[in-house]
Amino acid sequence: MKIKSLIIMLATVITLTLSGCSRQTPLVIWVGSEVQEFYEAQMIEYVRLYNEQNDSDFPFVIEVRAADTGTAAGTFLDDMDAGPDILTVAHDNLGRLIAGAGAIRPIQNPALIAQIENDNSAAFTSVIRATVQDQEYIFGVPYEAQSLILYYNTKYLTPEDVQTWEGIWAVAQENNKRSLSLTGTDGFNNSFLVLATNAQTGEPIVRLYEDGVLENTEFVTDGMVSVLRWGQEFFTHPNGARQASDSGWSSDLDTETSLTVIGGAWHFRAAQAALGSNLGVAKLPQFTITEDHAYGDFPAGTLMQSGSFTDTKMFVMNRSSDKLEYLEDILLFLSSQEVQQASFLQNSTLPAYQNALTEFEGMSGEGIQAQLTLAQLEMFNYGIPQPFGREARFNVFYYQRQAPDRILEILRNTTSQFDTVEAIVSEMQAIERIWFGIRD
Amino acid sequence: MTRLKHLIHKKFKSFTKAFLNLLQGIKSRFEAFFQRFKSGSLGTKSAHLVMGSGNVYHKQYIKGFIYLSIQVVFISIFLLNPEINNTPIGYKALGNFITLGTELGDLFGSLADNSMLMMLFGVVTFGLIIVFIAAYLSNIKSSALSDQRVKDGKQPTTFKEDVAELFDSRFHILLLTPTILGVLTFTLLPTLFMIFIAFTNFDREIVPGLNLFEWVGWQNFTDVFSGRGEIANRFVPVLTWTLTWAFFATFTCYIGGILLALMINKPGVHFKKFWRTVFILTIALPQFISLLAMQQILSEHGPVNATLMSLGILDQPFAFLGQARTAMTARVTVIMINLWIGIPYTMLMTSGILMNVPKDTYEAAQIDGASKFQAFKNITLPYIIFITTPYLITSFIGNITSFNIIFLLTGGDPNIPGSVAGQTDLLVTWLYALTIEEGDVNVGSVIAIFTFIITASATLLTYRRSKAYKEEDTFQ
Repeated sequence: MKIKSLIIMLATVITLTLSGCSRQTPLVIWVGSEVQEFYEAQMIEYVRLYNEQNDSDFPFVIEVRAADTGTAAGTFLDDMDAGPDILTVAHDNLGRLIAGAGAIRPIQNPALIAQIENDNSAAFTSVIRATVQDQEYIFGVPYEAQSLILYYNTKYLTPEDVQTWEGIWAVAQENNKRSLSLTGTDGFNNSFLVLATNAQTGEPIVRLYEDGVLENTEFVTDGMVSVLRWGQEFFTHPNGARQASDSGWSSDLDTETSLTVIGGAWHFRAAQAALGSNLGVAKLPQFTITEDHAYGDFPAGTLMQSGSFTDTKMFVMNRSSDKLEYLEDILLFLSSQEVQQASFLQNSTLPAYQNALTEFEGMSGEGIQAQLTLAQLEMFNYGIPQPFGREARFNVFYYQRQAPDRILEILRNTTSQFDTVEAIVSEMQAIERIWFGIRD
Repeated sequence: MTRLKHLIHKKFKSFTKAFLNLLQGIKSRFEAFFQRFKSGSLGTKSAHLVMGSGNVYHKQYIKGFIYLSIQVVFISIFLLNPEINNTPIGYKALGNFITLGTELGDLFGSLADNSMLMMLFGVVTFGLIIVFIAAYLSNIKSSALSDQRVKDGKQPTTFKEDVAELFDSRFHILLLTPTILGVLTFTLLPTLFMIFIAFTNFDREIVPGLNLFEWVGWQNFTDVFSGRGEIANRFVPVLTWTLTWAFFATFTCYIGGILLALMINKPGVHFKKFWRTVFILTIALPQFISLLAMQQILSEHGPVNATLMSLGILDQPFAFLGQARTAMTARVTVIMINLWIGIPYTMLMTSGILMNVPKDTYEAAQIDGASKFQAFKNITLPYIIFITTPYLITSFIGNITSFNIIFLLTGGDPNIPGSVAGQTDLLVTWLYALTIEEGDVNVGSVIAIFTFIITASATLLTYRRSKAYKEEDTFQ
């Protein structure tokens, strides 16, 4: 009797184990938590369309899972086998995703390649490509865009005031407030100065890994010195700019300590929570280089436009996926104009689609959401996509070797170390060496 | 100087003696091994080749089967090299441990060899070999013991008797085995792995499975003393602050806790239980909640600044923590906040000790005319110190590796431009920044090894010199 029971138990365990092994794994897609429900609904629609067109059921269950898009690439690289079939990442992660043997598969479906080429601006199509083993491939499918914009307190500032930093500064002085709080001290947040351009000509003042080439990098220019000197005055003035307080940037807005913050669309909800109906959104302001700041051949009186990284989020395919043959068709659907427009209407995401401004509904509204979209789209005229996708090292050089801290220190000048042009230039040379990957 | 020379000479002598003893031990074990083969029964001789055969020879079938299974499993793993994530465990893992991979992989072909898994599985294979050798020796010893019993005219033990023995005279082995296995798997293996990583170039530019990393010898260690780079420039300042922090964090809490306990336990103080409960509440609350609350209270828009400004003491907010203008401000603040977290522990322990000091000792002292201060100095304090010395040492070591307080309060800031380590970073928070935030795993491992050496040395030195260690049987 005991042996019989044991055999039955063993048979049950073996059957369950084998049936567990034979079950198909789902097709997994990672998206940002804020849009998970939206893409879940889209994938239900995709499966319906697929079943209709193919007269057969889509062979896998599709699971759309929420992931932090900021860290998704790192999480995926930590354990590719446990990673999803499709994930979304910011385009500047491309370098590390294709490093070595490459963790992601290039796009090869002609229809998808054609859609990517037709729907996206040259700025985006250039940063989703990379050359591997002497062959250029497209690795990512753009579907969302993002850039830095200005959130401001309409109780104090008018749309005219926020056209220039000087306008904001003057109001801040009148009210004994701070003009600006930075949301962070990294290389993304200082881009409003580092990537500033001549407002008249659109000429940049630095070169940053242009065309994916390390040598096409230049930080120590007369223009950049002039801008940093202007920035130093802005950051050291009691009513100028500051690093966010240790209570947080939203607290700075909420307590009216600072009148503005520079942020992305991902800061919108927190900014709205802080300022409520007093929240205004605008493109980043301009500023003028005066006699006091102009250096070398850079002329005083030059009107500068604050810059920004203008990035795209893209879908990429896990090279280890056992469902590769199905993925490109899914991406064709997910990056289509229709889905991008639906996402814009439902999630307020900024579409990557280049004609969104003229072709998508809801772009011409006057509400705060429309202001958010329009301000970002306007910033696309003055920004560049992060040029770090071609090589994993560029991202490290720009962000992780303390260059941002050094730039901020020039601006804050807390120990009066950077009172002279010579000291500023010397520190800029050190930063430039970091950008080149040279360790001092 | 002569005393130092004498001390060094003494230590050297004891070290040489220990080393010679070790060699002697190894030699006698080898001799015993060959002796067993020479004088053992046929079963014992065959157990040298086929594990468990000695037990089968003595009709200990289950035991023999267990040993045989160990040998079969080990040889199967070792020769067949089963793969996990395309990385083998077995004899191939030993070769891979040396090369750390050779296959670079390509976009449409295979992935690169996973250097990290190769290193890990190499360590695991070494571990399996050691476990197998232990089982192999135990199998021979078991057969030899049965030989001895037969010689003594007794029957070899049955499986039932062996199991019964495990629950009786060898109960300690039964209890310690899972613990030792746990320590080997979850402490020793990761520690060895971390030590090996320190000898590689595994940094932020390496993604295991996509690129290979390789052995670089002592390079990462010599960098510490090279005078160039992050570690060389920041190691000594961070270490100095870590030790300073550990000293103040330990002793301020220790003294504060004792004073508080003395006050609460003082005869005549009402609501003793209430006061104890109030302070214990800070232990009951998750530490990170207390720390985040303190961080907010002291922040620029927090109530402390608001109060000081409304009283006219400050005209603008004062940064106490990460954005403090001087490192000293932030350092003093974190030490002060640590009092809030640490004092209740000491207070609680000291209260327990104070309640157990024998009353007759005080009575005797009183009869001898001792003042209250003398009684405290000569009875209470030595009593507390004797019992709490191990706590004091572990607390000091705990503070060296205290992560939460610095990470949650200042994040290591105020920062130093050009450096990963901020001015309140301890070795562990710096280690976190270097590995998790910066991805320099090899450099982080070097710091971890130095941290381990410092904490282990400090623990051993202080504890072995303490009265609590030397006179552990004194206190009953």
